[in-house]
Amino acid sequence: MSSMKNGSAAAGGGRPWWLGLAILVMGALWLNGARSIASTTNYVGVGPAAIVLAVGLGLVLLGFLLIVQALKGQLAPPSEDEEEAPFSRPAFLMALAGVCVPLATIRWLGFPFSAMLAFTLVTHAFGSRRTLLDLGIGALIASLAWLGFSRLGISLGPFFPLLG
Amino acid sequence: MDILNQLLGGFAVALQPMNLFWAFVGCGLGTAVGVLPGIGPALTIALLLPVTAQVNPASAFIMFAGILYGALYGGSTTSILLNTPGESGSVMTALEGNRMARRGRGAAALATAAIGSFVAGTIGTLALTFLAPAIAELAFVFGPEDYFALMMLSFTSVAVVMGRSMLRGFTALFFGLALGTIGIDTQTGQTRMVFGSLELLDGISFTVVLVSLFAIGETLYVASRHGSAPAAVNPLSGGSWMTKADWARSCKPWLRGSVIGFPIGALPAGGTEIPTFLSYALERRLTKHPEEFGQGAIEGVAGPEAANNAAAAGILVPLLTLGLPSTATAAVLLAAFQNYGLQPGPLLFATNPDLLWGLIASLYIGNVILLILNLPLVGIWVRLLLIPRQYIYGGIVVFAMVGVWGLSTSWMDLALMCGLGVVGYVARVHDFPIAPALIGLILGPQAEIQLRRALAVSQNDWSVLVGTPIAATLLGIAALVLIVPPVLARLRRRANAEGEPAASAG
Repeated sequence: MSSMKNGSAAAGGGRPWWLGLAILVMGALWLNGARSIASTTNYVGVGPAAIVLAVGLGLVLLGFLLIVQALKGQLAPPSEDEEEAPFSRPAFLMALAGVCVPLATIRWLGFPFSAMLAFTLVTHAFGSRRTLLDLGIGALIASLAWLGFSRLGISLGPFFPLLG
Repeated sequence: MDILNQLLGGFAVALQPMNLFWAFVGCGLGTAVGVLPGIGPALTIALLLPVTAQVNPASAFIMFAGILYGALYGGSTTSILLNTPGESGSVMTALEGNRMARRGRGAAALATAAIGSFVAGTIGTLALTFLAPAIAELAFVFGPEDYFALMMLSFTSVAVVMGRSMLRGFTALFFGLALGTIGIDTQTGQTRMVFGSLELLDGISFTVVLVSLFAIGETLYVASRHGSAPAAVNPLSGGSWMTKADWARSCKPWLRGSVIGFPIGALPAGGTEIPTFLSYALERRLTKHPEEFGQGAIEGVAGPEAANNAAAAGILVPLLTLGLPSTATAAVLLAAFQNYGLQPGPLLFATNPDLLWGLIASLYIGNVILLILNLPLVGIWVRLLLIPRQYIYGGIVVFAMVGVWGLSTSWMDLALMCGLGVVGYVARVHDFPIAPALIGLILGPQAEIQLRRALAVSQNDWSVLVGTPIAATLLGIAALVLIVPPVLARLRRRANAEGEPAASAG
C-alpha cells in the first residue's frame, strides 16, 4: 500500500532532482522575462530589468546546485518521525480537491457554498465519513464567516450569485 | 524623561476602553491559535489583515500585539501537555515540560511557563521601550545605501540561519524575491513578469503567499499523513502547583532567559529558535539538579520559555525602528503597517507617536491580560484540543479562503492559493523554510528601491554602496555570515579527518 505512495511523496526515492529542475525552470522564466522588459534607463544604471535578471540568475544557479545535491543523495527528505503516518495519496488528493473546488464553484455558488464544499472535502481527507454532518458544519462556519466579515466591511461577494 | 512621558501617552491610548477590548480579543485569539496545532501568529494576523480596512491603526496593532504574545503563551500549553510544539520557539519547552506533565507536574510546568513568559515579556518590553527610540534616532542618519546594506545582511542571515541548509534557505529566499518582482515597477511604471495577466499588475499579495504557503501547505501535509489517532490530551493530573522549591529554581532561569532572548531576537536574523536553544543549554550546565534534565527539570521549562518571549519583544526592535522583519510574524506586521500606508522606521516615531507608543504600552497590558487568561483558565484552553482535527483543518481552509477571497474577490488570487499551497506542501515535505520566502517577498522590492535610489544619487557610481562606514560594515557582516559557516564546517571536518586526538580534544 505504501511503496508507490511513498515514492510519490519523495519522487525519485531520496533523490528529488525535480525540485531543482523546477527552480531552474522558474529561473529561466525570469531570465526570459528580463529580456522582454524594455530598458528605459536614463542616467540611472539600474533599470527595471536588472533585479529580474539577478533573481533569474540566482534561481538558475540554485536550481543547478539543488539538482547536483539531489543526485548525490544529499537532499533526501528528513527521516520522518516514527509517530507520523505514511503518505496517503487519496487523502492528499481529497484535501487538494477541497482547496481547489472553490476555483470551479465560487462564481456560481458564491463564498458560503464553495467554502462548505471545501470544508467537507477537507474533513473527508482526514477520514470523516459523516458527509451530511460535515456539510452542515461547513455551511454554518462559512455562513457565519460571510456574515461576520461582511459586517466588518469585508466583501466576500454575493451570498448566492445564482439568485442574482 | 521624555520616554516615560511618551510611554504614559501610550498608556492613555492603550487603556481606552475600545483598545482594551481589542487587546482582550487579540490575547484570546492569540492564546487559542497558540494552543491549536497548525495555526500560528503569522497566519492569524495575515487572515485578519483585511480587518485593517475598517479598524483604526492603533486598535488593529494593539490586537495584533495581543496575538503575537498570546500565541507564545498558548504554544507553551500545547508543548507541555501534548508534546507537539506548534512553532520552533517552543521545541525546547516541550522537551522538559512534557516530561514534567507525564510525572504529574503539568500544573507546575504550565505555571512556570506562564509566569516566565510574563516576566520575560515584561523585561523584553521594558528593553524595547528604552532601546527602540535610541535606535530610531540612529537610523535617522541612514541613507539609501545603508538601508540596502542592512537588507542584504537581513537576507543573508535569514537564509543562513533558518532551515536545515544554506541551499534550502537561499532557494526559499530567491523564490520570495522572484514573486516580489511580479507587477508594475514602482519607479518606471513598467510591467514585469505579469505573463499577460491583468490581475498580476498589482503584484502578488503578501497575504495570499503567506496563507497559501503556511495554511494550505500545512493542511495538505497533515491531511496526507494523518493516519494515526489524535494524540491523547495529557490531563492536568496531580495538579500540584509550583512549590517554594519550584519558585527558587525558576527565578534565575527566567531572568537569564530574558537576558539571552532579547538581544538575539533584536538582531536582523533574530528568530526565537536560537535563544531558546541557548537558554536550554545554559540551564542544563548551571543546574544543581543535572540528573533531572531529560526527566522533567523545571529550569528547562522556565529558561527557554522566558527566552522565547523576550526574543519576541526583541523582534519588534528592528521592525519598528528600521522596518526590518526578521521572522514570518514580523513580516506580516510589516505588511499590516503597509496596508495603512505606514512605513515603520525612524520617521514613524516622529509622525505617529500615538500609534507606536500605544502599541508598546499595549504590550505591557497584554502581558498582564495573558497572565490572567492563562494561569487560572488554562483548563478551558486545553478543551480546544478536544476539537477533532478534521474540523480544525477544515476551518483553517475556510478561513484561508476568507483571507484570500476577501482581499479583492479575485479568482486569480484563489488560483494562486492553490498553486502556492502545493509549493508550501512540497516545502514542508522537503524541509525548506518558509520565512525567508516571505522576507524576500516583502523586503525584496524595498531593497531594489534603496539600491536604485542610492545609485541615482551617486550618478551610477557603484562604490557608493560601500561609501559610508555603516554600509561597508553591514555588507562586511553580511559577507561574513555567508562565508563563516561553510568555512567552520570544513575546518571541523578536517579536524575530524586528521585523526582522533584533534576530535577528542574538542
